[in-house]
Amino acid sequence: MRPNERVTLWVSRIIIWAFIIVILFPVAWVVGASLGTGDAFFTGTIFPRRISFQNYIDLFQKTQLLTWIKNSLILCFGVAIIQSILTSTSSYAFSRMKFVGRKNGLMTLLILQMFPTFMSLPAIYGILAKLDLLDNLYVFMLVLAGGSAFNIWLLKGYIDGLPKELDEAALVDGASYWQIFVRIILPLTAPMLVVIFLFSFIGTYSEFILSSAVLKSPESYTVALGLQRFINNQFSAHWTLFAAASVVASLPLVIIFMALQRYLQQGLAAGAVKG
Amino acid sequence: MKTGAKIRDKLTPYAFLSPAILSMTILSFLPIAYTIYIAFTNFSLNHFRQYQFVGLKNFIDIINGPLRTVFLPVLIWTIVFALIATLSNYIIGLFLAVLLNNKNMWETNIYRAILIIPWALPSTIAILAWQGLYNQDYGGINTLLSYFHIAKIPWLTDPFWARVGIIIASAWMGYPFMMNASLGGLQAIPPELYEVADLDGATWFQKLRLITIPMLMSSALPLIISSFAFNFNNFGSVFLITGGGPPRTDTAFAGTTDLLVSSAYKMTMQFNRYDLASALSIIIFLIVGTLSFINMKMTHAFEEVD
Repeated sequence: MRPNERVTLWVSRIIIWAFIIVILFPVAWVVGASLGTGDAFFTGTIFPRRISFQNYIDLFQKTQLLTWIKNSLILCFGVAIIQSILTSTSSYAFSRMKFVGRKNGLMTLLILQMFPTFMSLPAIYGILAKLDLLDNLYVFMLVLAGGSAFNIWLLKGYIDGLPKELDEAALVDGASYWQIFVRIILPLTAPMLVVIFLFSFIGTYSEFILSSAVLKSPESYTVALGLQRFINNQFSAHWTLFAAASVVASLPLVIIFMALQRYLQQGLAAGAVKG
Repeated sequence: MKTGAKIRDKLTPYAFLSPAILSMTILSFLPIAYTIYIAFTNFSLNHFRQYQFVGLKNFIDIINGPLRTVFLPVLIWTIVFALIATLSNYIIGLFLAVLLNNKNMWETNIYRAILIIPWALPSTIAILAWQGLYNQDYGGINTLLSYFHIAKIPWLTDPFWARVGIIIASAWMGYPFMMNASLGGLQAIPPELYEVADLDGATWFQKLRLITIPMLMSSALPLIISSFAFNFNNFGSVFLITGGGPPRTDTAFAGTTDLLVSSAYKMTMQFNRYDLASALSIIIFLIVGTLSFINMKMTHAFEEVD
């Protein structure tokens, strides 16, 4: 290492450390708050002087956080499973079959993708209100599972990259399209399907706009919605309790994200922005 | 028998597509079509059962009518916010990526894993935590500032500071994506270019300006455009931190930090003006759709349709 490289390296390190401190401050403050007692923050300390797990105990005894986590998990798994199925069968058809309307179909998907989901909020809210279907977690699951235009493009691109000879040989041997799909394409696309499953899962976990419009009673709230109501309504002065709830609600996703970072980056490199 | 098999062969692709076609028609396409229709009616709480076609009235009201003074400031702030948020995401992301992309820094991956944390958090929950950080009396930021004897900043009650606060939170949430993307782009630049530059005695800054930035731009521009579109509709950062507030004195329809998307949301949920909300949604779509279209042209997405 030449002297000026050594200087560059150490200057870079110091700048990065400074960034890490600034960027982790909000996280540290929330974790710190969750371990404090209600009063600690009104006396103006950054981190609590006495550490207490009382907030975590209260969380499970006095709030409906567990119900919200359960609702979120039902919703996220449901949406992710439905979207993975829709995406895999249609991407296979778009990638490997010739049919009338294929080109226009792909074009339509590109255009549908330009419509942000919230755009249909007035329509979806209006229809569900008229049909008296608001506040139903399973109806809501179907609403969220509808759009997956981006995923279809993502998976189609991936299948395009798989050798065609594999399934053409199977076709010659008399295998049906369905057999090829289940036995050859699905196993080969498994890594990308994992990414798509996670995209749907993560997106649904943080979904707020539609949930807040459609889900009305605290019994059917998701985590994101529950925490928002929690902070803006009765618990506005209970920051430490909210902080504990944030930690509990974030942990599962952080663990999933960190463990599968490599796969996610591969998929995100294809041009998505996490919602 | 043979024609039967032929017909079945022709129908197979549609069988595979049917789940997606069915769900997208019912859940994406029809709601969008209905939204477009509502935008031309007077569908609101007052006209919930019976509403009429009113033509372009909603659009005219918003663009050049009584609601112009309400939405023009919202539109301008939306554009300003999206520009600043996107640029700060990209500049911070690129800056960190350049620092991390140092072959002498053996611990790069550790820093990378730490710096990515804001991205790994569920966004809604992270944004809600920012609302707490900005609390004037006991929020983390003002508490921290008080240690340096800096006066309390009215983050959520002063229009200027509320806007600054939203931009800071958006930068915090958005830079890891850009950092990652830039790192990928940096690693794709052939190292020979830098070796030649070193031989010519180029400085660190010259290498950045003449090699790194031009080489990154082709992959970065589509990311910047899609990030602009994302921030243009960054509902969460606004609605969950300030709720669109502090309120404006001249109208109840939109607060000082409301973006077009959050004012469309309020139109639906608070004022039950589905007609105005739909018209606003279409205006948003026209802006974001144009950007996405340019983006797809640039990334040659359309040429992939073969």
